[in-house]
Amino acid sequence: MRPEIKEYNYDRILGQTLSAAARFPAGSDKETELTYRYIPYFKGVLKPLIDTGVPGKIFLELLALYYENILTAHARGKKICGTTFCYSPAILYAMDIVPATFEILTALGGMVWKRGMFDYMDFCCEVGMPETSCSSQRGFLGAFLAGLCEEVDFLVCDSPGVCDTNANAYAFSSAYLNKPFYQLNYPSSIGDERSQKYHVDDYKEMIRFMEEQSGNRLDYDRLAEILKEVDLQDHLTADLEDLLMLVPSPLPPLYNLMIYAGRFCFSGQKIYTRVLEAMLKWGKNRAKTGLSGLRSGDEKLRIFTCYIDHYTVNLNFWNYLEDRNFGHLGCILSRNFRDDNKYVKNLPGSAYGIDLSTKDAMLDSMAQLNARMPMVRTIRGPYDKPGMWLDESLELVRFFQADCVIYNGTPGCRNTWGMVKPFARDMEKNGYPTHIMNDDAFDDRVESWEATKERLDEFFQVRGLL
Amino acid sequence: MDIFYDAATKVKCESILNWKKSGKPVVGYTCSYAPPEIFHAAGILPVRLRGIETDGTDIADAYFGPFICSFPKCILQLAGKGMFDFLDGAVITPGCDSMRRIDECWRKAGEDHDGIVPPFFYYFDVPHKSEAHGMRWFKNELKLMIKAIETHFDVKITHKGILAAIKKFNIGRRMLKEIETMRWAKDVVVSGTDVFTATIAGAVMPRDEYNQHLKQWLSGLRRRKKSLSKNKIRLMLAGSASDEINLIRLLEENTGAIVVAENICFGIRAEGNEIDEKGDPIDNLAKHYMDQSVCPRMYGKYKERLTSIKERIDRARVDGVVMQNIRFCDLHGAENSLYERDLEAAGIPCLKLEREYGPRADSGRMKLRINAFLERIDAKSNQKSTEPLSVSA
Repeated sequence: MRPEIKEYNYDRILGQTLSAAARFPAGSDKETELTYRYIPYFKGVLKPLIDTGVPGKIFLELLALYYENILTAHARGKKICGTTFCYSPAILYAMDIVPATFEILTALGGMVWKRGMFDYMDFCCEVGMPETSCSSQRGFLGAFLAGLCEEVDFLVCDSPGVCDTNANAYAFSSAYLNKPFYQLNYPSSIGDERSQKYHVDDYKEMIRFMEEQSGNRLDYDRLAEILKEVDLQDHLTADLEDLLMLVPSPLPPLYNLMIYAGRFCFSGQKIYTRVLEAMLKWGKNRAKTGLSGLRSGDEKLRIFTCYIDHYTVNLNFWNYLEDRNFGHLGCILSRNFRDDNKYVKNLPGSAYGIDLSTKDAMLDSMAQLNARMPMVRTIRGPYDKPGMWLDESLELVRFFQADCVIYNGTPGCRNTWGMVKPFARDMEKNGYPTHIMNDDAFDDRVESWEATKERLDEFFQVRGLL
Repeated sequence: MDIFYDAATKVKCESILNWKKSGKPVVGYTCSYAPPEIFHAAGILPVRLRGIETDGTDIADAYFGPFICSFPKCILQLAGKGMFDFLDGAVITPGCDSMRRIDECWRKAGEDHDGIVPPFFYYFDVPHKSEAHGMRWFKNELKLMIKAIETHFDVKITHKGILAAIKKFNIGRRMLKEIETMRWAKDVVVSGTDVFTATIAGAVMPRDEYNQHLKQWLSGLRRRKKSLSKNKIRLMLAGSASDEINLIRLLEENTGAIVVAENICFGIRAEGNEIDEKGDPIDNLAKHYMDQSVCPRMYGKYKERLTSIKERIDRARVDGVVMQNIRFCDLHGAENSLYERDLEAAGIPCLKLEREYGPRADSGRMKLRINAFLERIDAKSNQKSTEPLSVSA
């Protein structure tokens, strides 16, 4: 790692940056426009967010708060849990533990800094992680392994059985830094009695582990409050998805990112509810105009990204969608699989409910919710088995009336690279043009954004989608 | 030894072909977490699926993506070419993400290449943890697989039958253990290539035939006097799954080294321990296959594995460890780095090698690095021998 990078703690610099960003739109619109001149390197990422209106501004507050929580955790006597995006942090908040979600912390650095997270990613390889391991963890993980962030007290991941490279990043960290580690493991099936029970058994073991590590007992009253908030958030998200079904969709592409990033950071917390409420209000107003949520108001194409989005500097991917007038219908990260969502009706066993009647019912709800988190639900089993990736993707593209499907991941995504070709072929057979992006969602060095953009354009042209 | 070489180096080896002639079924499996004893108890020949004898991966590349380990690709390639046409069944296990996706890729390849998917095609869902609920899940998986085999092949698998199979497999295990013990001696009478070959053969040959040949070979080994290890550097091979005899040969041929231990899932690591012959055989199988956490797929058990590998290193008087990982095998790639850190700190030289499975396009590069590693060990031992002896007061 370059010596100058080692001079500063990663989370402190990015935390300060985001804190400044959250205060940026506090003045008048004219002041905000003028101030952009003074932040040429950050304008590219900040302006698109601020342009989304109130939701974007609250979202910036949310991100700043996320870092502030991490940076002040130990001073406030709280423990920090290193965890993953597909793990619901609601339980951590219920136990007064602060989450540090590796992928979120990697993506933010990648989107905000022109230099990306490359130095930190490479540091992971310096200390022994293979360069073929997933870049989504390797960004923040590099800072963590180098001691350039608040010390993470223990680690919990829920990807064993779902994603090796994800699970391996946490297992490696645990062994490398001698940190306590718990792995929630998922079987290949979902919805049947046996796997439901396995989810609960494993989750209860995890609670015991976290109680031991944090010194905090799970407070069920607090859990009930958080689950009520999750319930509200799920319904707000469902309302947003109703809007997304409209043609044209009145929601800007960036709302998709805000829906899932907010959930990964603050599930069950009021600030995320505020973001959702603001998005819904904006979307409903926009829907009345009959215009698309794109800046131009014109939706030329409706895109479904069947896996993840692209998180390199300046929100390149979302700006591209805006420039080309493409609506974004969501990705594998967007959906929550709550039991009263319309799209789960044809996917038996795929959903969770929230039951606050007893302690066990609440724990069961959390365990089943966690088992339906993105990736954990969808790609745990063979992609073409009932309710898995193919069924889910087909249901969603029909439901949201997508014109085409884009696959994007990282070279570390062995779980999907292992079968994305036949998956894409099956999507095509069902009438959905499908493009496989050969880039890295977190690392522009694998394929430059310019090359990625060209290939996307080529796909839309060649397939006659425009 | 010839029959072992035949079994270890040919997909359609003589032993399998002879078994097929008798009209009895053969089932392939992909991972060391699947117990062959169950198939044996059903009168089925269990064959560990391998990717040897491939000369490219054009078929596999049509289904697997580019960032996938070449081992499952080679297996799929062989399937696509009809090299597994002797299989009546295949059991796919989620050993790792690349291996578990053979399930979809093989089935999908079957839509384009007629007759390549065996009639019994089964997904055996092995958990990643051996705590109580993980063990319960695994036992249930064993029972479900038994039921599926019984239904498909119209056979009955009894506890008695499984117990008999365990006993039979244990006979082989005891002999392999004895061979392993021979490799711990100062003067080793058997090459690593031969031992590895014999071990691989055990993963494909009918157990009765295997035990019989192993017995003969072992009795010959017991009589051997000539040391093969004199003035040689003693190596351990560790890391990703490998069934390639040539990899061991690369370490031993004209290098001044001998392989005295392995820590890979095709080697004695999986075969060396006996299964309890008393009590519920399902419980015993589960305990044996799940409880050892020998593979990095069992996350969070690094310390246990480090202790185990250190014990093996000590017992076999290993001078250096060659740790290989197939490209895109992050589990072994990352764990090899941890081993390297901890073993080097304990004074054990380590070499990390990333490589491809299958056609040995990069054997020259590997040879160069192995030679450099051996020179390093050699220099270290020379330095030791020229250091003045410390005299106690």
